[in-house]
Amino acid sequence: MYDADVIVIGSGGGGAVAAKELGEKGLKVLVLEAGPFYGNKKWQNPNSERGGEWSSSYNDLDVGIYKKIYNSYENNMNDVVSGAFRFGPADRRRAPWHRVMRQKGDIWQVSGVGGTTQHYWSQSPRAFPQAIDHVWPISYRELVPYYEKAEATLPVQFSPTTPKEELFYYGAKKAGWSLIPTLDVVTPGYRPNPNAILRTNEHLMDPNYSMEQLTHMEGCTLRGHCVNGCTSGPSMDKIAKRSTLVSYIPLALKTGNVSIRPNSFTIKILTEQDPKEGLRATGVQFRDTWTGEIGELTAKTVVMAAGCIESPRLWLNSGLPFNPWVGRGLTNHYFDWVGGVFDEKDLMSILGTPSVYPYVGHTSGARVDIPGIGIFQVSCLSPGLMSFLTYGFSEAGYDALNPPEPGEPWDIRGRVVGPELKELMHNYSRTMTMLLLTDDEVRFSNRVEVDPLLKDENGPIPIVYYTPSPKTLQRRDQLARYACETLQQAGAKKIIRSDLPTGFLLHLESTMRMGFVTDTNCEAFQVKRLYIADNSVHFDGIGGPNPTLTTQALATRTADKLANKYFDHSIETDK
Amino acid sequence: MHQAKLYAATADPRTVATFKALVEAIVPNTPALAVFGAEQAAGAVELYVYEYMIWELDHSLALFLGTHLTIVPLSASTAGLLNSGAFQFVASGQAQHAPNHALWGSSPYAALSPADRIRVLAMLEELRVDLGLLPPPYKDDGGLITFIVDYLNRGTMFGFYSEWPAYGSTRLATPTVRRLEYFPIGWRQAGYPGVSLGYRALGGYLLTIVREGGESTIV
Repeated sequence: MYDADVIVIGSGGGGAVAAKELGEKGLKVLVLEAGPFYGNKKWQNPNSERGGEWSSSYNDLDVGIYKKIYNSYENNMNDVVSGAFRFGPADRRRAPWHRVMRQKGDIWQVSGVGGTTQHYWSQSPRAFPQAIDHVWPISYRELVPYYEKAEATLPVQFSPTTPKEELFYYGAKKAGWSLIPTLDVVTPGYRPNPNAILRTNEHLMDPNYSMEQLTHMEGCTLRGHCVNGCTSGPSMDKIAKRSTLVSYIPLALKTGNVSIRPNSFTIKILTEQDPKEGLRATGVQFRDTWTGEIGELTAKTVVMAAGCIESPRLWLNSGLPFNPWVGRGLTNHYFDWVGGVFDEKDLMSILGTPSVYPYVGHTSGARVDIPGIGIFQVSCLSPGLMSFLTYGFSEAGYDALNPPEPGEPWDIRGRVVGPELKELMHNYSRTMTMLLLTDDEVRFSNRVEVDPLLKDENGPIPIVYYTPSPKTLQRRDQLARYACETLQQAGAKKIIRSDLPTGFLLHLESTMRMGFVTDTNCEAFQVKRLYIADNSVHFDGIGGPNPTLTTQALATRTADKLANKYFDHSIETDK
Repeated sequence: MHQAKLYAATADPRTVATFKALVEAIVPNTPALAVFGAEQAAGAVELYVYEYMIWELDHSLALFLGTHLTIVPLSASTAGLLNSGAFQFVASGQAQHAPNHALWGSSPYAALSPADRIRVLAMLEELRVDLGLLPPPYKDDGGLITFIVDYLNRGTMFGFYSEWPAYGSTRLATPTVRRLEYFPIGWRQAGYPGVSLGYRALGGYLLTIVREGGESTIV
């Protein structure tokens, strides 16, 4: 009578994990994904033709199609209006799906199988233990076995050292930070990033292997395109950077129990009143993004993993029961970005090379963790992305019209335009940049809601609003000072603080908070059989670390809890 | 002719002049930098980045209006925002250089000196204007103005320093049919070698996770 045991809405950082874990338990799983499926024989030209409807087989995967689309050109891949990585329909002639933002900023979310992990930089740290224990409704210890499972599955490994990491370590050590060789960070210090990237190809340094050969072998080739589309690897499931498109999705298809339908935007959760359980989820309505046809599917349980904006939107547009916290409590690590320009002679003496080589290695390969404050991580991008993050995107306005006070650790704060921009960009290859992630305090007023007037083809559209608390602002300023100190110690001649806008949304979390919208098993309080498995179910911003691994650990745990409660499976970690 | 190309061809001269003035102020031609190589001089106007901005703004928003999904083009109204801002800027005596009167009639914003164009952007994003005099959808919507003014900066930089200009004659086609026609000038200016298959740059590992028999250790 049901179409499946479980319907999973969304195939990104969380949904793909839930699908694989549930499929491995023998449950029949249907995954609905709003965006395209890249790298699948059923969709030879996913951005211009409708192609098939469902994929249910590992043998459908096709690395040739994947590599053709993932061409690593930054505008083609990451243009938020028309890129292959955007939040919008597969058909690139069409406009992206709009979200209303009445503040400076931009939302970096990607539709498509793999979701935003398609362009994430794959940092996979655990939460800070002190940010979970006695804060979250579950303990850090409860999460550890699930962290271990997700880390082994992806797999997660510490980043290799390339010139930019070497320069970062040199500055961090001189600034007084010490190495913390751990995954459980309880004291401040520096370490390579735990990244979901395969080990560097063992033959990379052997000139007997050509780059062309190496790119078709297993292992990272340090090509620097984590953000613009990683293509190093012999097959879909052996691509070096482990977006869920190449990690959990192939594993899900291998179970033989999972079917994925891309180009299918879920517009409504279907429910019924059960005499015993009360209101419960029974299925979904979705819209085919190519034909506009509305389909319905039913299942015994539903897992919502549409992301921090679409999950609350879907709840609200489905007319599910009122809960004051639905869409509320948005955190975002209120980011900042700093850069240092180095002289060639200093680089020669530190690195023995004339350049930082910002385009070499993992997009982000090393970090300083400061529990209670946040993280700064060396992060270098191709010139288009780097130019606007460093010089074009700011809450502070134009540096020239409002220069920093003397004595500040930065020489520039805010946007740089005109001839000065050209000069700075001329120094691109001698510039090291860092992303700063703030331990962000939850505020009820930070929110996702739906517009009372504006609609797209999928219903009333989301409005996103975020403004940091005074405590978050204070931590972020402290973090910027720490990061600039490391740049200074490394010998940077000119230091730039972008002062990124409040509305630059990358690590959206906690809009459907555990303990408020769901119970500790991530099942909605008010709708039985409806689970949440994306960043939105986090209780908060986990202290600042990049959120994906925690979502993946929680999705693994949620699969356990769901299968235990409704399908009589024993809990894995109890075995 | 593809719809996008058609749009560029029919964009009104006032909008084109305004966006040319915008991108010129943000990424100008810099003859002085030619000492580092002739390619260092090129600015955003020579690389048609104003067309990029117009295309992006005209393809970024689709809303369901009445019976169907409708594209809401934003380039003309955004040019109107800049021109209205320029008018208020000059009228309130803030201009530091006299506007070029020959251009005033076609685009007040383009008539300003590059430095004054940036001051207009600052004035708009700080909402030091009469919001009621701005064209819709910006009229009386301060949040939308701050969003779009910030976008005008970063959009111009991304257009210029990414590979977009090198799509050459296909730059306004649907993204799936654009083809690179030369090595991007912005990348050359930045000293970026372009898309690479890999780099032989491994400097070792500071830490390694070793997983054996279900246990993991860090060495």
